[in-house]
Amino acid sequence: MSSKKLDLKRLMFSMTSLVDLGQEATSSKDLFAKMKAALYVITGMFSVPTAALFVYQPQRKRLLLFVEKGRRDRERREIGLPLQTKHIKQFRMNDPHTVRDMAASSFFVRNKEVFSSLQTAIFLPLFAKGDFVGAIALGRKLGGASFRQGEKDVLRVIAHQMAITLHNARLFLEVARRAAENKKLYSSMQQIYQDTIQAFATAIDAKDEYTKEHSYRVASYAVAVARELGWKKKDIEGLYIAGLLHDIGKIIIDVKVINKGATLSYPEMTEIRKHPQISHDILSKIKFPWKNIENFVLHHHERLDGKGYPNALKDAELSDGVKILALVDAFDAMTSDRPYREKLPIGEALQEVIRCRGTQFDAKITSSFFNVLRKELNGEVKEPHFLPHLQNMDMSKFKALSSSSTM
Amino acid sequence: MMPKGYINDMGAVSLEQTSEQLLGDGAKTLIVNFADVQYINTIGISIFTGMVQKTQEHNSVLYFTNLKKIHRDVFELVGLTKYIKVFNDEEDALQSLKRKEIDVK
Repeated sequence: MSSKKLDLKRLMFSMTSLVDLGQEATSSKDLFAKMKAALYVITGMFSVPTAALFVYQPQRKRLLLFVEKGRRDRERREIGLPLQTKHIKQFRMNDPHTVRDMAASSFFVRNKEVFSSLQTAIFLPLFAKGDFVGAIALGRKLGGASFRQGEKDVLRVIAHQMAITLHNARLFLEVARRAAENKKLYSSMQQIYQDTIQAFATAIDAKDEYTKEHSYRVASYAVAVARELGWKKKDIEGLYIAGLLHDIGKIIIDVKVINKGATLSYPEMTEIRKHPQISHDILSKIKFPWKNIENFVLHHHERLDGKGYPNALKDAELSDGVKILALVDAFDAMTSDRPYREKLPIGEALQEVIRCRGTQFDAKITSSFFNVLRKELNGEVKEPHFLPHLQNMDMSKFKALSSSSTM
Repeated sequence: MMPKGYINDMGAVSLEQTSEQLLGDGAKTLIVNFADVQYINTIGISIFTGMVQKTQEHNSVLYFTNLKKIHRDVFELVGLTKYIKVFNDEEDALQSLKRKEIDVK
């Protein structure tokens, strides 16, 4: 074959190989698979049985062996080549360095064992946009021939392509890392938020010795009713928080008034009736990610007939959230021991709910409330919200009531 | 060994692994029949380069048979044919093996 014809064939081969490399480097595979395939293309181009691709880790000042082919003594341990900034400065960007070029470098001397296990003939430092991103160590060719000038030129093209691929991957990984970090931060903030709210709820309930865990029950009951009404998840979360914090204003009310056993005097009644407004004022200082929390707590003692407090609002002026809280708050008050009376039997409490339907409680909300109870009692709900808290009550009364009522 | 279709992706690494296993088991000659191979790219060449190195390490030999001209040209271009023996077909390769055995005797 004439030398001209051979050169042309070599050129054609290099071109098609570069196309192969481009396809592999830009494929949608993960970075490891992509780089491994790219390394195979490169070794195939030069008939080199051994090669490795390293990625530069600036924080650890080392080149980490990322993918390799044909290396002897393939132990599983991580291989990192330490290098200093001065070494990087000595590298000619994307230019193949022969072993002779490198022999005097302390970087090469220090990592001689690894380079020798790779039978390194060429060291190709990879730079993208001026940044050092990694390197390729290319082994000796089969038969040991040295790399021709034309082949070194092709290696420069390869270095550019591989450097850009690594650089882009690094940018992508950095974005992914930051996104993961933000997500972690967000979830830890959310946890702190939840914990703070829980701590408040515990503080509120601790003040009222008769209504321990009242806030938790109200929150849990409200969630069950809202779910029955088909509320969205985010809105249910907001109602849950409002349930936990609806009595936060009681923190400021005199503990003696809260826990007074006898009938309250007018000034005491006025005092205790301030708690929804105080709850509202405290919570309005907080920027909640949920809507209407302050509104829910402010009006949880309002009634449909306008005889509630603090604003004596009527039916149309009250949101469903307020109506749910008003009902489940009253229901829990009735089914808990109070300073002035023992808890009501479940049948009586439910009779009271029905009796107050249309005056104190909304009919639609009442109906959903009974539906939830009925479903929980029939075992249709995986995680019941009411039943665990009503265990000591005679639920047969409810059964009789729900079958005879027009819920 | 009789690879099929396209030898152009990392799936073909199994060829290199199989040859390594056979050589480890003591095989002295590996015959690769290319009759059903349609296409070989640089990844394929890399795999065969690896096979050459492994056979050399084990003092074994590698025979290629039924090569299409285009593939033979590429193997020649990258210098692989210096380290393998190329035969028209498996029959030729086996005949050569027999002759070799007689010579040894």
